[in-house]
Amino acid sequence: MTPDFAALLRALAAGGVECILVGAVAAAVHGAARATYDVDVLYARTPQNIARLVATLAPLRPYLRGAPSGLPFRWDVDTLSRGLNFTLTTTAGDLDLLGELTYGGTHDALLADTEIVCVFGIECRCLSLERLIQVKRAAGRVKDLEAIAELEAIAEERRRDTIA
Amino acid sequence: MARSDVQFDVDISLDPDPVIEVYKKDVDRTLIRENLKLTPDDRLRKLAAFVAFLEELRNAPRHKP
Repeated sequence: MTPDFAALLRALAAGGVECILVGAVAAAVHGAARATYDVDVLYARTPQNIARLVATLAPLRPYLRGAPSGLPFRWDVDTLSRGLNFTLTTTAGDLDLLGELTYGGTHDALLADTEIVCVFGIECRCLSLERLIQVKRAAGRVKDLEAIAELEAIAEERRRDTIA
Repeated sequence: MARSDVQFDVDISLDPDPVIEVYKKDVDRTLIRENLKLTPDDRLRKLAAFVAFLEELRNAPRHKP
């Protein structure tokens, strides 16, 4: 299915969910040209925010991505509280909910490294370009090497624009 | 300490990495420069349109000429 980035981000914003855009969509916000099919967000693990997340996403019928259909998966506060990172399908597209980033930390730890961006008519928190590069470097995944190279090229182009 | 309270204090260098520098040579900077002329909103709308296009291609009927 075609992901509906706008629907996902609008739902999270309308539900008052505290989260930070990370991953490839955050890279696109900063200017990356790579395509992606899913939205990655780092969410705050407070009980209140978990409750908001559950209520907000319930209408989008979240389910474990790649899992066989018919599993007794319950989308509720208990499930979210007992887990940490969830790779989900929803009726608006694939969504990865991350409780923390490898060597990056939690939502609260990264708040200072975010910027507010206006997309699809709403305001979202997005991880800064520099921090995005750092967490991707720290993750040390081979599959991220091309993405990191692109992000660093973006940082260089920005610096070049600033100097010019 | 609850798992969600764990704080990471790892200082990841942003110094040039020789492996990433090799990958950087293949980055198409013309695409980046065009994207940097856009607003973040325009960039995400462009991404959404591109992904929709890819999906349409993926689902397009195929036949031999």
